[in-house]
Amino acid sequence: MNSSPQASPSGSDRGAASDIAEHARPTTAESIISLRGVRKTYFRGKEPIHVLQDLDLEVPVGGYEALMGPSGSGKSTLLNLIAGLDRPSAGSLLVAGADLGAMSDSQLARWRANTIGFIFQAYNLMPVLTAVENVELPLLLTKLSASERKRRAQTALRIVGLEDRMHHYPRQLSGGQEQRVAIARAIVNDPQVLVADEPTGDLDRQSADEILTLLERMNRELHKTIIMVTHDPAAAERAHITRRLNKGQLI
Amino acid sequence: MIPIAYNLRSLAVRRTTTLASVLGIGLVVFVLAGALMLSAGIKQTLGRSGKSDIAIVLRKGSDAEMASSIESPTLGLILSAPGVKKDASGSPLGIGELLIVATMDKIGVDGVSNVQIRGVPEQVGRFRKGLQIVDGRAAQPGTDEVIIGQRLRGRFKGLDLGQSFDLRKNRPAKVVGVFAYEGSSHESEIWADIDTVRQAFGRAGLFSSVRVQLSSPSQFDAFEAVIEGDKALGLDALREDRYYEKQSEGTSIFVTGLGVVIAVIFSIGAMIGAMITMYASIASRSREIGTLRALGFSRPAIMISFLLEALALALSGGLLGIALSLCLGTVRFSMMNFASWSEIVFSFSPTPGILLSALVFAGLMGLFGGLFPALRATRISPLSAMRD
Repeated sequence: MNSSPQASPSGSDRGAASDIAEHARPTTAESIISLRGVRKTYFRGKEPIHVLQDLDLEVPVGGYEALMGPSGSGKSTLLNLIAGLDRPSAGSLLVAGADLGAMSDSQLARWRANTIGFIFQAYNLMPVLTAVENVELPLLLTKLSASERKRRAQTALRIVGLEDRMHHYPRQLSGGQEQRVAIARAIVNDPQVLVADEPTGDLDRQSADEILTLLERMNRELHKTIIMVTHDPAAAERAHITRRLNKGQLI
Repeated sequence: MIPIAYNLRSLAVRRTTTLASVLGIGLVVFVLAGALMLSAGIKQTLGRSGKSDIAIVLRKGSDAEMASSIESPTLGLILSAPGVKKDASGSPLGIGELLIVATMDKIGVDGVSNVQIRGVPEQVGRFRKGLQIVDGRAAQPGTDEVIIGQRLRGRFKGLDLGQSFDLRKNRPAKVVGVFAYEGSSHESEIWADIDTVRQAFGRAGLFSSVRVQLSSPSQFDAFEAVIEGDKALGLDALREDRYYEKQSEGTSIFVTGLGVVIAVIFSIGAMIGAMITMYASIASRSREIGTLRALGFSRPAIMISFLLEALALALSGGLLGIALSLCLGTVRFSMMNFASWSEIVFSFSPTPGILLSALVFAGLMGLFGGLFPALRATRISPLSAMRD
């Protein structure tokens, strides 16, 4: 199966793109993610907690990388930074040509809508929306017509093999099926980068393998760059590169 | 925009708390709409009693018929004033009436209430063309027979067809007919022969008021100039519709004010209820909201979405309240008219304007009640999507 939703930028997307372009910096031709001396510090009262320390990282276009490490090592924080959910305390963070550290909240929101597809451990589907309505959500931020949104959402669900579950609510689906819907939602806007936070963490082995196979296909056939946080060695094995974090540093 | 289906279905999922809020808001809207409908009913009932081409003449300085007295010989002078319409035989169209208040025993509850008794001349039907006998027959002139307005029927002891009551102590009067009169406040009156009323209440040779039919509404100024210009007469002339408008003002303002005050007090409780519902709903959906933020929905989009949810909640309550208040349309409500200190029976009068106002009030309750929860929703970080 090699069809793709292929969401081309709409008028609003182009507006958002030009807005974001103000913060664009040249990255190396091969890198879609580039971190230089990135630090992230939280404060507990007045006490600083250095979660990430002077991190350098380059991820090539079309890369599939796993981030592993013990709890508290900073892998989720790193994923949040790459996904534009949080901003670094110091250093340079370029993703898909955008300098995320210099963008406002609203700019980041628009950037995420255009650039990032999210896959969560707990799937994070809206329980009151059907599968196709869940997948359609990111398209509501575009100027596509209702019929075109519906068509693309249905295509995305076909890609993940759920064409016969389009009008099912999340409670009517198995965990593996829910995660497939979440993957369909992640790719429906044709983002450049997929971030996956423990995508198999809540699944049995067989469902986990199916999801990992699907992610491989997203990487291989749709050329999505994938950054995946996982504790599962079997999941990490599927990635091209496994990076390990400990105490906020890549080892 | 976040689809409204997301909000509506979320409300349906939390049906117990949603229902509690809807009922709370519905109650407030019911009270408000009921008060406004009653106020409109009062204005309508008293408004129907007056016409712009009829002038009413009272003793100078009298606010109401009850406080006015005009000597019989003055009737001829009033009827000869310019602007008074004449019938085919050339007789001026006018009528002198005597209005008395009597205390009567109510049915169904302990206690008494004032009822207006109108002494009318034999030719009353010629002047009051909207008068209709709906049951029984007209009273015989010069007897103790009376007819009663249909809104009075069965509300007081002795006030039903064929029954008798004491007009004055040891002065029984018999009800021989029930009349309708264009839904006006006259339907809450007893009508008897004017001479009978004069004798029973010791008002020989007196009228309370004189009404004249004007050739056209524009003739009023000329009529008024003559009536009020003769200082020796000591009379005031008013248009009848304006007179009843003034009569209804006090009662109408009282009912509206009372209803609005009660509704506003209740609305605070209802808004707090809606607020609690929305806060609880948002707290239990922080991961969903975080996910929406992560997907790229802006803070204003989240704000609008939850305000719409609160609005939907409130409008559901509003529609419930309006539906309940419409049931009041069949209820008749007797209360004191502050202008005459006598009981008048009103009905609740729903108008499109009242229903729309009640719905807007419900919407405002939803928006105010939902404002702070919606603001809280906008503060939920997209990082909430990633947390367990």
